[in-house]
Amino acid sequence: MKADAATRRADVTALGVWLALCGLTVATWLVGQAGVGGAAVVAALMLSVLVKGQMVVDFYMGLKRVRGPWRWVVTGWLVAVLTLIGVAYWLGGH
Amino acid sequence: MDMTAGLPAATEQRSLPGDFAIWIFIYAELLVFGVFFLAYAFARSHNVELFDAQQRFLDRNTGAINTLVLITSSFLVVRAVNAIRRDAAAVCARWLTAAIACGGIFVALKLGEFHAKFAAGVTLSTNTFYMFYLSLTFFHFMHVLMGMVILAVVAVKARRGAYSAASHTGVETGASYWHMVDLVWIVLFPLVYVMH
Repeated sequence: MKADAATRRADVTALGVWLALCGLTVATWLVGQAGVGGAAVVAALMLSVLVKGQMVVDFYMGLKRVRGPWRWVVTGWLVAVLTLIGVAYWLGGH
Repeated sequence: MDMTAGLPAATEQRSLPGDFAIWIFIYAELLVFGVFFLAYAFARSHNVELFDAQQRFLDRNTGAINTLVLITSSFLVVRAVNAIRRDAAAVCARWLTAAIACGGIFVALKLGEFHAKFAAGVTLSTNTFYMFYLSLTFFHFMHVLMGMVILAVVAVKARRGAYSAASHTGVETGASYWHMVDLVWIVLFPLVYVMH
């Protein structure tokens, strides 16, 4: 019964995460439709990807409560890749 | 008899979900995709005008819809994992089938996108942007297909009663792989379709 209640709560959390992910995706699409660019836009998009990615890692992959470095490996991957993408865009002019 | 009694609940998990080997595979895949993303970004820094001009010809609407489709499929897979943790194998199989259907939508839309590009005469050698666009998205496309096969196998086994609340490593393994496919697309969509 305890496991039942916990998985029901996890279902609700997953639904909230899904709504947040959809919202951020629509926001990303709107940025694309607006045709805007520049350092601030790139930074905002990278931050959005970081938030979305971390939500998938924590609540969908289920790494939030896992012992050891496993969660930080994926978070580190996200931060490193997004930071270096930002550097590449900065080198390209914005 | 309550088979879930005494088991760690979904929110109390402390060990990696699924088979340990899939996580080695997932980390290796993330490394490969990471290198691919950085190669795209740094290649763009030397060809900004070309990349920005060619990006305008991509179907951003389809890219966004495919992002929503993959996010939704990941949500459905989470529901499947939670269902099997409640010992509801038939429900688990239904959620997985719905997730596979989402994968099918992604594949159909992507094939349409590829077809439009090939019909317009675009190939890997058209220019650097399209070399990255086609190879990156096709590489990810192959992972979606592989993920659908894995989820289908898990769904069939779940329907046949191979998993329970006490033993469902296979469901978590398939789910972890599928979430990795979703995670990679979450980076790929803004990078290739939106950012300039």
